[in-house]
Amino acid sequence: MRETAILARRALREGLRQPDALMPTLFIPLFFLIVNVGQVAKIFPTGGTPFLHGQNYAAFQLPTSLLTAASFGTAALYLVEEIEGGYFDKLRATPIPRASIVLGRLIAELPKSVIMSSAMILIALPFGVRIRAGLGGYLLLALLIAIWAAVFSGFMQLIALKTRSAAATNSVGFIFFPLLFLTPNFVPRSQLSRPMEIAATLNPVTYIMEAARSLVLDGYDWAALGRGFAVAAAAGVLVLFLSIRTVNRYD
Amino acid sequence: MTDASAAIEATDLVKTYRSKEGDVDAVRGVSLTVAHGEIFGFLGPNGAGKSTTVRMLTTLLTITAGSARVAGVEVIDDPDGVRRRIGVALQEAGLDLRQSGRELLTLQCRLFGMSAAEAADRTQELLELVELTEAAERRIQGYSGGMKRRLDLASALVNRPDILFLDEPTTGLDPASRLVIWDEVRRINAQGTTVFLTTQYLEEADQLCGRLAIIDDGRIVSEGTPAALKSQLAARLGPGADPSLDDVFLDATGRTRERVAGEVQEVQA
Ligand SMILES: Nc1ncnc2c1ncn2[C@@H]1O[C@H](COP(=O)(O)OP(=O)(O)OP(=O)(O)O)[C@@H](O)[C@H]1O
Ligand SMILES: [Mg+2]
Repeated sequence: MRETAILARRALREGLRQPDALMPTLFIPLFFLIVNVGQVAKIFPTGGTPFLHGQNYAAFQLPTSLLTAASFGTAALYLVEEIEGGYFDKLRATPIPRASIVLGRLIAELPKSVIMSSAMILIALPFGVRIRAGLGGYLLLALLIAIWAAVFSGFMQLIALKTRSAAATNSVGFIFFPLLFLTPNFVPRSQLSRPMEIAATLNPVTYIMEAARSLVLDGYDWAALGRGFAVAAAAGVLVLFLSIRTVNRYD
Repeated sequence: MTDASAAIEATDLVKTYRSKEGDVDAVRGVSLTVAHGEIFGFLGPNGAGKSTTVRMLTTLLTITAGSARVAGVEVIDDPDGVRRRIGVALQEAGLDLRQSGRELLTLQCRLFGMSAAEAADRTQELLELVELTEAAERRIQGYSGGMKRRLDLASALVNRPDILFLDEPTTGLDPASRLVIWDEVRRINAQGTTVFLTTQYLEEADQLCGRLAIIDDGRIVSEGTPAALKSQLAARLGPGADPSLDDVFLDATGRTRERVAGEVQEVQA
């Protein structure tokens, strides 16, 4: 645990020291937010669209942007760089549990993600976006997104540990891409076409998105929140188990 | 031969890398004993299995067959016990380029269990030892090759290891930087640390090592003090021969000057 905390602090320092690496994480989701809202906001006016619960369409899209920002997996790129450069072996030569090397990075994702989400929410405020659930809702939202960021990074790190190559990690990472878009990201699930609805229902990311959206639009919808946090926790347990196993078997 | 007091004792070490493209028998039964306080040289051409052997002895690679005791600890049974007693500087000086030299050493100290205050003191000591105090706050990104090697060496010393493993510590360095590392290695050894170093430079082995083994194609083909290896070859070559360690190396690895020259010409043609 002690080593995990030490390595988490280091990963955090590394992330903050490379702000240019975080910029795309912030600007690509913001770009999509502006473009998406600009294109369809007229179809979904605040007054005539019940699923907006009186907010504007940007509020509906905000969770999508937060999730996109949390799904870059930059931590895995640092890890693979470390494997390629040999520093990973230097860490493995110290008498620490190997799991702490991977876990340190995952824990560092949590505060990084909270900073990122907060920045995006701040940027959205002048456009009339409000979190209906208030300050507590903001904290829950940031926590949920942060868990997802750690989970996503965890899966990317698994790929990094298996392939040990930056190029492969980048390209294999694209298998997660559909997960973000086979979701009710433009309209609620009930208004999707039948095939899309089935895909979205099977996609675990859907439940995280719906939980996040409920906090923004609706206040505390405990059923939606329960599903969202349950999915995030289950994915977290799975990725922890796989990460620890993979790093312990690393040869 | 079992010598419980040996610093390193490897018995029939084997490493087979398995992959989809096929298996590679990188090390095919290496046995060696290194006594406490020695500087032991491990020589061999590219691909001979030097790094693979070092990585097995330092717990970084699983052992396919055979066994090894390092600093009195069985590598397979208690890898963390081995890690606490050894220092490792690998062939690619693996450093985190985003940290400063001081940060890297402090982190390394902390991972060996030191408190923040102990780590700060030990880091300062090591920075002075390898003469990096002035560059200590700079990112490693901007260090020269020689500085990186020295920092890597310092990071291998944080825990005052009984045994120091150096995989090609001077490859790629200019002659002056090489001498600095040699001095450092001698100084560390004089303080009682056993040194296991691999090298492709015969002069380095001649200068530094009390004893050496030559490995070729995963097997040890020759072993002894530099002087003994030279005189054995001199005796075989007959009166008037005065072989250098180069000749010993070429002879032991089945390479001749003529053949090496021929290969060079083929490449040029
Ligand atoms: N991860 C690996 N997977 C498959 N084969 C490997 C791997 N690492 C090394 N080898 C092979 O094992 C053999 C021994 O490699 P090793 O790196 O131990 O040699 P070396 O003596 O250190 O060489 P060099 O002087 O070039 O560093 C080589 O044939 C090499 O190609
Ligand atoms: Mg090597």
